[in-house]
Amino acid sequence: MSQMSAPAGSKTLAPGCFTRREALGLLAAQMAISLGACSKPVEEIVPYVEMPEQLVPGVPLKYATALPLAGYGRGVIVSSVDGRPIKIEGNPRHPASRGSTDAFAEAEILSLYDPDRSKAVLHAGEIASWEAFEQALLPVRQRAQDRNGAGLWLVTGRITSPTLARQVDAFCKTYPQARWCAHEPTDIAAEREGAVLAFGREVSTRPQLDRAAIILSLDADPLGPGPEQIRNGRDYALHRLPNNGFVSRMYAIASAPSLTAAKADHRIALHPDLIAEAAIAVANGLGAGLRRPNLPEHADRFVQAAITDMKSERGRAIVLPGPSLSAETYALVHWINHELGASVEYFEPIDGLPDHTAGTLTDLARDLDGGKVDTLFLIGVNPAFDAPADLELAERIRRAKFSVHASGYADETAQISAWHLPLSHTLESWSDIRATDASASIVQPLIQPLYATRTMHEVIALFATGTRARSYDILRETWRASGGADFDGWWMRALHDGVIADTSAGKLTNLQPQLPRIADAKTVSQAPHLAIVLQPDPCIFDGRFSNNAWLQELPKPLTKQVWGNALALGSDEAHKRNLGEGDVVKIEANGRTIEAPVVITKGHADGVASLTLGYGRKSAGMIGTGVGTNGFALRQSDSPWLIRDAQVTRTGRSEEILKAQNIVGRPEDVDTLFPIVAAQKVSDGKNPPLQTGADLPSLLPTRPLPDDGHAWAMVIDSAACIGCNACVIACQAENNVPVVGPEEIRQGRQMHWLRIDVYHHGTAGEADLGFQPVPCMHCEEAPCEPVCPVAASVHDSEGLNVQVYNRCIGTRFCEANCPYKVRRFNFFGYADGQEYANLGLESYKAQKNPEVTVRARGVMEKCTYCVQRISGARRAAERENRPIGADEVTTACQDACPTRAITFGDLHRSDALVNRLKRDPRHYALLGHLGTRPRTTYLAEIRNRDSDLDKEPS
Amino acid sequence: MTIALNSTPAARSRWIAAAPLSNRGITEMIAGPVFRGAGKRWWIAVLLTLPFVLWTLVALIWLLTQGIGAWGVNTTIVWGFAIANYVWWIAIGSGGTLISSILVLTRQNWRTSVNRFAESMTLFAVAISGIFPIIHLGRPAYFYWMAPYPNTMSIWPQWRSALVWDFWAILSYLIFSIVFLYVGLLPDLATMRDRATRRSAQVLYGVFALGWRGSVRHWRLYKRLHVTLAAIAVPLVTSVHSIVGLDFAASLMPGWQESIFPPYFVIGALFSGFAMVLLLTALVRWGLQLEAIITIAHFDAMAKIILTGSILMTYSYATEWFLAWYGGEHADRSLIAFMFTGHYAALYWALLFCNCLLPQALWFPAIRRNVPALFAIVLLILVGMWLERILIIWNTLSHDYMPTLWRVFRTTFWDWSFLFGPLGVFAFCFLLFIRLVPAVSIYETRRLAYEEGLE
Repeated sequence: MSQMSAPAGSKTLAPGCFTRREALGLLAAQMAISLGACSKPVEEIVPYVEMPEQLVPGVPLKYATALPLAGYGRGVIVSSVDGRPIKIEGNPRHPASRGSTDAFAEAEILSLYDPDRSKAVLHAGEIASWEAFEQALLPVRQRAQDRNGAGLWLVTGRITSPTLARQVDAFCKTYPQARWCAHEPTDIAAEREGAVLAFGREVSTRPQLDRAAIILSLDADPLGPGPEQIRNGRDYALHRLPNNGFVSRMYAIASAPSLTAAKADHRIALHPDLIAEAAIAVANGLGAGLRRPNLPEHADRFVQAAITDMKSERGRAIVLPGPSLSAETYALVHWINHELGASVEYFEPIDGLPDHTAGTLTDLARDLDGGKVDTLFLIGVNPAFDAPADLELAERIRRAKFSVHASGYADETAQISAWHLPLSHTLESWSDIRATDASASIVQPLIQPLYATRTMHEVIALFATGTRARSYDILRETWRASGGADFDGWWMRALHDGVIADTSAGKLTNLQPQLPRIADAKTVSQAPHLAIVLQPDPCIFDGRFSNNAWLQELPKPLTKQVWGNALALGSDEAHKRNLGEGDVVKIEANGRTIEAPVVITKGHADGVASLTLGYGRKSAGMIGTGVGTNGFALRQSDSPWLIRDAQVTRTGRSEEILKAQNIVGRPEDVDTLFPIVAAQKVSDGKNPPLQTGADLPSLLPTRPLPDDGHAWAMVIDSAACIGCNACVIACQAENNVPVVGPEEIRQGRQMHWLRIDVYHHGTAGEADLGFQPVPCMHCEEAPCEPVCPVAASVHDSEGLNVQVYNRCIGTRFCEANCPYKVRRFNFFGYADGQEYANLGLESYKAQKNPEVTVRARGVMEKCTYCVQRISGARRAAERENRPIGADEVTTACQDACPTRAITFGDLHRSDALVNRLKRDPRHYALLGHLGTRPRTTYLAEIRNRDSDLDKEPS
Repeated sequence: MTIALNSTPAARSRWIAAAPLSNRGITEMIAGPVFRGAGKRWWIAVLLTLPFVLWTLVALIWLLTQGIGAWGVNTTIVWGFAIANYVWWIAIGSGGTLISSILVLTRQNWRTSVNRFAESMTLFAVAISGIFPIIHLGRPAYFYWMAPYPNTMSIWPQWRSALVWDFWAILSYLIFSIVFLYVGLLPDLATMRDRATRRSAQVLYGVFALGWRGSVRHWRLYKRLHVTLAAIAVPLVTSVHSIVGLDFAASLMPGWQESIFPPYFVIGALFSGFAMVLLLTALVRWGLQLEAIITIAHFDAMAKIILTGSILMTYSYATEWFLAWYGGEHADRSLIAFMFTGHYAALYWALLFCNCLLPQALWFPAIRRNVPALFAIVLLILVGMWLERILIIWNTLSHDYMPTLWRVFRTTFWDWSFLFGPLGVFAFCFLLFIRLVPAVSIYETRRLAYEEGLE
């Protein structure tokens, strides 16, 4: 890795500063050096004759660590080959991961090798050194000490790291008058304030969906992107399957489409103000006796049905509030959940410093305005991009006398700070972090920092004490007390497990919520004004993953848009405003204006549009800069998730919305391809069998298939799939799937081996969506095989349909003849010399899985059922002289899936889970009537609808 | 010295519009342009086509260095212009073969005036069409893996693939076209050898004439070989086009998996081939001033064949529609609806106009005997037939079993380059050819004149 390290601090010599004699001398010296390069180094070096302990060349080692998202940790296990981390998987011991990942965790491995990461200290935009910064810091620290920290501001992200908390605490003690503020772009302030209103104190709330029979979501998105997606997804999926006691029913009232609303059994779209009214209606239904809610008739009917259901399931019902609601509504929901005895757990908040009140960015902006900020430390944040626009921090930060920005990227904030310090990637750092339930994990590095970077802990230590400390020592210091007598043993155990035992927060019980005071009903503003709901982006979250090409090219679950965001509108609303898909509109709110193209989706309330955050980066890197529209530019600090009165006008221009695939909505297509069964029928065993293609009549005798004792197969449960995309990125990481870039997407090309098809099976207005991950079907009668003229597409003796890359000449007949369209062609050398943007740079090559071929231009590729993993399991079994275990082989997509929707196994093993699933009454084969006999089959989506609501209103 | 032959309307024959006509006169008229020099029209034509040749070369270099991503093909519509152009060109080729062979076998003597350049047209069209399946490959350097040859991988082609059959079909058709054209040329090459005045020309024609002396034995053997080749040609052309049809029919895709495809492709080949022959006939007749031996009656006869082809094509289309409805398969019906109303509907309607409706004008003798009108009609038929080929690919692949990946084809500059460039290459080769060998068969025209009693 040494060649990757940047020439930090190297001085450049001005031209023309040599005399002739000097130049000749230098030439001679340089020749002597280059000759010397052929000899051994002066220091003693050790030949690689005996292997270091544990390290077998080519055999991956796995380490537990944790990755942050919005400040909360998800435990992961990282595979490392010959010192290169290459793949991230979930840590089964970790409560926020449970062995699964999300798309962000999977993609972190690419960010590690991002060549656009910040590599050097910058001073006023010029490369400087750490030593120069330390020099510059001396007088600043002295001044701060003299003034007791007055005029000193520290801005961090959400702090859940015990070590960071300890350090910030110490920092605040060193500088008693210093101010600290935690800035997290996806924080929901109303949630905190709501808890204060209801309980008189801050309380953190976690829904327990695994115990919920009736779920009412009030614009909440528990299944959507965020640190709780994996846990919520797993818990939710538990009771979507008929054999786990009961099948839950989810009602969703959503202002804009979300994964939660998509999967709900019943949904209506309402303006956020009306959703607040719906909360009042629910509370009244439970005897709150509040004022009459101002709800339209159809919404009232919906809410009444939900109330009836919830009342009959007291103790197993739950109401979830979402970010577009006010603190009062959050408080009201606390009251409702208390009345219902809902499956909610309350915890002491973990993301603060108990002894210090956090400032806000608003305070910082005021101080900056008043010239009261002498020194500003910004660590791991990018407020110049993602702070609410009304604070105008991008301008105001310049007013600080001495500003230091530490981050993994030289981003927008780095551009306006006096100093920028490069931070190490999480996979290069020692640290610790808590999950949402407060379980702590040690973050251990998988690799030496690739560049001259330091960790957040080292940087804060430098600010606080002026000394260079190693984060390893700082970290061990934090935990020394917990470790007890045998600290080293405790430490090893903590590192090994990836989660520290008994650190989860104690539950708070006996909380008595107060009914909040409810204001009069707001009049929902009418056209021409539009309410815009802001959402974290399902692909790049809040913009921190902007420069990750995998995530940029990841199709958004509900629109399938890639490489950008757009103002999403319902078709009625668009029609009313005479807007078509791709029309660029000017969005004006609170005196600020942005431009965005329009994308038309189902599931928006009247007068509501939505926009995801994180795009429109100005300084993200080669991949992310300039992609999409910046929603933060419209954000108000007092209403961060909802822009009430936006004016939308056409600009007359239009641009293409890049989509990787279509949402399927024609009823006849949906009926053929995506069967849906009623939960009741499945439970009663009354569901008629679905098409599997196994019973098709044939004039031909059954063709004997070669058989070496294994028959690999996969079953995917659509009822469990929440469309989160973790599998897509997992597949990309595992199988060296290249990124093609926006131009190629525009041309209709993509490389994902696994795609998630979305079927719309509701009525025109209702976005009733189902998800169907589609990898290769590995058909027993594969249509791709007989058409290949060179036998590059062949069947192996274990039932895999394999593609022989070096035999492929690229006729593409196989993809033309594939009814599932799962094959992917390298029209250009996407991984072979014609990479998009900087993706061909050396550092990215370190991420490649050495067990998977990197495909050349002109060859076809596709899902292999992770054949390298099958091979690995076979080798392991042969070494140990045993058969491969029934469910021993897992594919990358299966490992990633938070809801365990994907199952892989050997049909020849009667104890394999796939065999049990293939006997399920919901089992079907996609396009089974074609006689392809696919090995990948599906379990049908389930809907548990309320019979009362399905009746026509009388 | 030159014997001017002007067409005289009063001539007695249907097929030769000049009298009196001596053997010498016919020879002089046909061989004359080769020896006399090109003439202004020829040079203008060469200058017009040369840029296309260069354009094609640039396009080829670009394609081979950049990869086939230069085209508009995408993940769903993995085939595009290359396959459509291949089918179109090879169909053009078969027109020539069919004229020569079927008309030889059915003793339609009027073919003698047109068969030479029809056969040469075949050769160039097949040669051009043969390039497309190679450059269409993702890795064109390995195209020979479709051939069974001993290799270290111990692997043969995968014989179940229609593309392997295609490989053989194109190869055998190309070889056959060369042999058929060459055999037909033999007596005329000898004539050229005898009439050449320059030594170089004498040697060149002499070598290729293979010692032809015009003895009775030569003629007897020659006649036998020619008829035999013609007899081989008919099943060959039929099989070549059936296999081209099987490229699509031996699949699982809606709109492709149809048993009517092989005969439908043969008819389509005949149809577009005759259209191209008629187009070239009109051009050559004008360019080389052969009004005397290529008469209106020739056009009339060919127009009738084209009309028949159009009716059969219409029948084939109707069969497709009917069977999609009758079969009841959702994907098939959906595809037909897409063809008529989807993204390419305008092209599909244009196709139906060019291939089905417009040729019905040929029921009228006045139109069959009006060269400019015929020229316009066959030009549109050629466009219609190209549209048919591209739409077979676009419609099915844009609208198959997986609606989630339905998308449309976006053409690029390089797609059009490979459509228009080869047209120029074809014309260029044809121009060179008629400068080197007689554009019309001398000996057969002489015999026709004799049989028509004009001598």
